[in-house]
Amino acid sequence: MSTMTDHGDPTAAAAVHEAFPDVTQAPVEFAGDVRVWVEPAHECEVLAYARDELGFELFIDRLGADHGEDAELRFDVITLIVHPVTNRRLIFVTSIDEKIADVPTLAGVFRGAGWFEREIYDMYGVTFAGHPNMTRILMPDRFTGWPLRKEYPVEGLGDFAAPRRALGGNVDGTDGMVAVPAHPGQPGAPSADPIRPRDEDGEISNTKEWQP
Amino acid sequence: MTETRILDVETSDEVDTEAMLINMGPQHPSTHGVLRLVLELDGEEVKSCLPDIGFLHRGKEKVGEGYSYHKFIPYTDRLDYLAPLSNNVAYALACEKLFGIECPERAQAIRVICHELSRISAHLLGLGAYAMDLGAMTIFLWTFRERETIYTLIERICGARFTTSYTRIGGVERDLPDDFWPLLAAFVKEMPGRVDEYDAMLSRNKIWRKRTMGVGIITKEQCMQYGLTGPVARGSGIDRDMRKVMPYSGYEKYDFDVPVGVEGDCFDRYMVRIMEMRESCKILGQVLDTIPEGPVINREGDETLKSVLPEKTGVLTNMEALIHQFMVGTESSSAPVGEVYFSVENPKGELGFYLRSKGGHCPDRLRIRGPSFANLQILEELLPGYLVADVMAILGSIDFVMGECDR
Repeated sequence: MSTMTDHGDPTAAAAVHEAFPDVTQAPVEFAGDVRVWVEPAHECEVLAYARDELGFELFIDRLGADHGEDAELRFDVITLIVHPVTNRRLIFVTSIDEKIADVPTLAGVFRGAGWFEREIYDMYGVTFAGHPNMTRILMPDRFTGWPLRKEYPVEGLGDFAAPRRALGGNVDGTDGMVAVPAHPGQPGAPSADPIRPRDEDGEISNTKEWQP
Repeated sequence: MTETRILDVETSDEVDTEAMLINMGPQHPSTHGVLRLVLELDGEEVKSCLPDIGFLHRGKEKVGEGYSYHKFIPYTDRLDYLAPLSNNVAYALACEKLFGIECPERAQAIRVICHELSRISAHLLGLGAYAMDLGAMTIFLWTFRERETIYTLIERICGARFTTSYTRIGGVERDLPDDFWPLLAAFVKEMPGRVDEYDAMLSRNKIWRKRTMGVGIITKEQCMQYGLTGPVARGSGIDRDMRKVMPYSGYEKYDFDVPVGVEGDCFDRYMVRIMEMRESCKILGQVLDTIPEGPVINREGDETLKSVLPEKTGVLTNMEALIHQFMVGTESSSAPVGEVYFSVENPKGELGFYLRSKGGHCPDRLRIRGPSFANLQILEELLPGYLVADVMAILGSIDFVMGECDR
């Protein structure tokens, strides 16, 4: 079991907290991972310290997370770095408000953070100050909205919504869903029966001639 | 009129050196999927490169937030679609870390088989497509012959060839059938010879060496900065394989080597993959000899039982198992509150899952750290200065899959 979960480095995390007692919080451990909370403005400084002084040189991941609209500090930006010799992992978490929403970019410390930050911007709308190219990366440029925010529906919104027909609903275009012309035979289709002619009221007409 | 123009060109000292923008992809055969590269060229030389990704984005991380932990397993098949079994294993292990469940030893050994089979299969495709990009058509046909054997084995494992969804939280879906073992033994016996064939065909081939040696050199420092993992990082001399440095599924029990390159060029990355296939065969042979008997899904403890599915064979004959299957399938169990990150050594590099749970049936955040996403970022810095023909050599040697890059 120990090999399975023992991936964090509590000693290094404690050293980081000791070096920056004012801008970090005491490390938290769960299932072997060690997490250190950092103030957004000092994130680069702390990570540069971990890289240069403690040897955590290998950048692994930078991701965003959303606590929902009601949370005081809504977004988390989480960074994972690894010591290439001991292969222990450190996780840094910085939390920001939707209104502050401007974290200094980490691209100066780890060049690889560039794309990861673009993805966080793409998904959450969190912008990074000083980022060389703060544009969408996975979603198309003309996309509007922030898809990984909790309030964004999984079916999508506006032009990017999944067709209602695929979800089995009606096709009146409500709920911000895009209206898709119904297939003949579906409820709501102008003429459910392609063979039998109908009169103006939509009733099956027996007077008009069949036109197969 | 024509004659004067010819004369003009011949007597002119100045050559027209206007930069040209070339749009490579998303449907270019050497981009292996839907990667788009906007290349600025000066003659044949790349001046700058702008990778454009996202064409295969399916919002998997968003989908994951609305599904229970079990129901996300089929989505992991479609990440690195050249190694679906490997993704299944990675996701199951991440969930087990969150739930605090351990998987029985026999299931661990089966997972190692899954992992190594998909590693060989993915490297075979990577190698075959790479060789074809550089004009060696034969290798592609040879590697597909071996991949067919592997797909037959995978079909025996889980009934499907491509979309496997084989692992479960706490184990695997079902035990392997008896007729699987002789097939695997035959494969393990034959495969090293096949790898020698590819090696003999390419490694000393003059054209192959000219196309790959000294091309696309990635330094150790770049690997660290960009978070490159897998064969790309090992080709540059970083001795980091998750199977060795953070062993999971009992990898510490098996004897295998981690091949590491020196130069960090395309040839080293190719060589690392060739040697990894041999090591995978070694591991498979050891699993064949040492696989223990026992259950394939953890059935111990009330808390564990709440979150794992019963064995499939029991569901069809046993009322209690059927009810249990229904309960886990519909309601699923509440995960403990917490955040975990777990990563495995996938064929392309480190595939990690970051799960955040606030209790309840679904993850609050399901992050997929695809190795191809990180590995592709280097192109922007790597390609300038090389020729257009080298772009194919470099792309093939990085061996990415857009499924896990775009997620």
